[in-house]
Amino acid sequence: MATTLEQDRPQLAAGRTWASKGLVTIGTATVILFVLSALLDRASVSGTSLSGMLPIAAVLAIAGLGQMLVVQQGGIDLSVPGAISLALVVITHVPDGDSSKLGVAVLIALVLAVAAGALNGLLIGTMGLNPIIATLGANAVLYGVNLQISGGRPRITTRLMGDIGGGSTLGVPNSVFFAIATLGLVTLVVKRTVAGRRFEAIGANQRAARAAGLRVRTHRTATYVWAQLLYCLAGILVAGITSQPTAFAGDTFLLPSIAVVVLGGTSLLGGRGFPLPTVIAAVFLQQLVQLVTVLGFSAAISPLVQAAALAVGVSLYTIDWRSILARRPRPPAAAGAPAAGTG
Amino acid sequence: MRSRTTVAAACASLVASMALAACGSSGGQSNGASGPVTHVKGAPSWCGTKKITLGLLDGYGGNSWRLVTTASGKDEASKCPSVTKFRYADGQGDTQKAISDIKGMVSSGVDAMVVFPDAGKAVLPALTDSFKAGVVTVPYRVFPGGKAGTNYDKWIGDDFANDAVNWSTWIKQNVPNGGNILFLGGPAGNSQSTTEYTTLRKNLPDSYKFIGQTPFQPTNWDPTKTQQLLTADIAKYPKIDVIVSDFGPTLVSSLPLFAKSGRSIPALATSDGNSLSCFWQDQQATDPFKMMTVTTGNDNVRLAVDYAVAKATGGKIPTADSFKGPVFEDSVSQQPHGVQCRKDLPGDVYLSAEMPGDQQAKLGK
Repeated sequence: MATTLEQDRPQLAAGRTWASKGLVTIGTATVILFVLSALLDRASVSGTSLSGMLPIAAVLAIAGLGQMLVVQQGGIDLSVPGAISLALVVITHVPDGDSSKLGVAVLIALVLAVAAGALNGLLIGTMGLNPIIATLGANAVLYGVNLQISGGRPRITTRLMGDIGGGSTLGVPNSVFFAIATLGLVTLVVKRTVAGRRFEAIGANQRAARAAGLRVRTHRTATYVWAQLLYCLAGILVAGITSQPTAFAGDTFLLPSIAVVVLGGTSLLGGRGFPLPTVIAAVFLQQLVQLVTVLGFSAAISPLVQAAALAVGVSLYTIDWRSILARRPRPPAAAGAPAAGTG
Repeated sequence: MRSRTTVAAACASLVASMALAACGSSGGQSNGASGPVTHVKGAPSWCGTKKITLGLLDGYGGNSWRLVTTASGKDEASKCPSVTKFRYADGQGDTQKAISDIKGMVSSGVDAMVVFPDAGKAVLPALTDSFKAGVVTVPYRVFPGGKAGTNYDKWIGDDFANDAVNWSTWIKQNVPNGGNILFLGGPAGNSQSTTEYTTLRKNLPDSYKFIGQTPFQPTNWDPTKTQQLLTADIAKYPKIDVIVSDFGPTLVSSLPLFAKSGRSIPALATSDGNSLSCFWQDQQATDPFKMMTVTTGNDNVRLAVDYAVAKATGGKIPTADSFKGPVFEDSVSQQPHGVQCRKDLPGDVYLSAEMPGDQQAKLGK
């Protein structure tokens, strides 16, 4: 118990200065990456390449924003693959090629997302289960429902969904507009509303928030519902972008969804969230994958790149290097560590 | 002390000799019904009289091709009344699950199993265990390594080289002066795409250049991944003359990328699927392209089922040991068929399969 308190304090103290750090770091890295891409192979920044990269980056950004909300509460959501796959299966299966049934399909997908979120929220927020275990179980449940509906086989996307999710307006893929709208909504709610400010305060320090009379349990439960709604949107977009998506298409988004949150500067220990840097990180990560593909590297590179990005992100923002380094020479550490904790 | 050591040594030698005896008995294994060939009246010749339970296992069952294939396997088994029980398991792309599925089938007491070994050599030990436990074990389509008679009863492959020969013949006729070929295959390292590439390379002169990664661009037969790879390819290569893909329907969401980049769709040598054929038809007015397909090989499973059932029930064992998929559609010569689109059926129906399109459409509902 004492250790969690000690962990929380330095996070809070350092949080304000780290906000700009995340944006500056990932922003600069993204600019450098695009310059580097243009230098190494112009094809990797051509219109065609971007039109392939941006829709997937947009989906990743939306899923990443959902994951960010959970991470802000010190949790982690491993049900991303199940949630995305279920949404796209519902969107392709229920209408079965008939665009007029798309509205009903979206509604069913949303209801299922709320139910999945409520399940996660109940297990973690109310019953206090470990988020890794609870969301891993929820992921299995979601895949169970998925297979029940689809038999492992999604149908072809309806024409209307293909036009909405896979089409483009003024040369910009529609999914990008969805990502921007989601970013706006999440930023507005988390940063500019009373509920959002309370939500961040709870993530930063649950004990203090509880002492201040905030409804910790309600907020933590609601987090998982909001997150599921965002994964649901991501899944619907995947269905639109890909005309015949597989029933397991969500699997590829788990690791990157965590990587973009971490690269965006949100600490895995919870606390403040950084929506804009998270979205930029999604573009960064997807462009990095696109670049290695254009350069003709083997398929094995892509997961390695994602894992490396996660490692870099964690080492930049979550690990408290100062206290680790201060702890190294033994005798001064005894005096140094508590000083950092109370500072 | 001494007596305890002696007892332990005796036990150890007893266990060792039992293990050796067990190993010895597995040599020269002969699974299935022995004795003369039997036949159930009114059933196909491969259907013997011994009653059996048949297992069908997929390494990855998550697409419509597998659904049709599974249903085809079940349909084939239903032709033989001696198959009293049919079981199915899907590894869902997880090698560990695929292995435990095989072991589970053995312990549940199936007499014969037909396995799609997606993970290749990784599932060979499980197949070998099943074979040694006396279950008629027939892997099909993907080669799992090992040897027939030692690790399994028989491997019923698809003659992928035959597909590649058909593609290269068509390419030479329709893009006669050479050109740039982009080959989109399945998961990295899979034997099907590798064999196809080797055969294509052997049959096409040097005037045909393979662009992108060789032996193939690994799409995992996943439309999303195909789309990502193809955008990179279109951006990188200003001239693509032919696209070869061993799972045509995954291309449908990616081909419009050419129009978005102000380019025409190149000639396409691939495998069939209703969505692809209907896409081809829709493009005729605006951006027509040449296309040839070979059958996707859903019926490969039928030959594997015939073999496994024949061996387990004591029926007549089929002589063919691999499935040769013929050319299905050719938009240029119209032989043996022109492009076949059935707009009234779902896109994920394979009109080349023995199972009629209307029946495929009802699957999974």
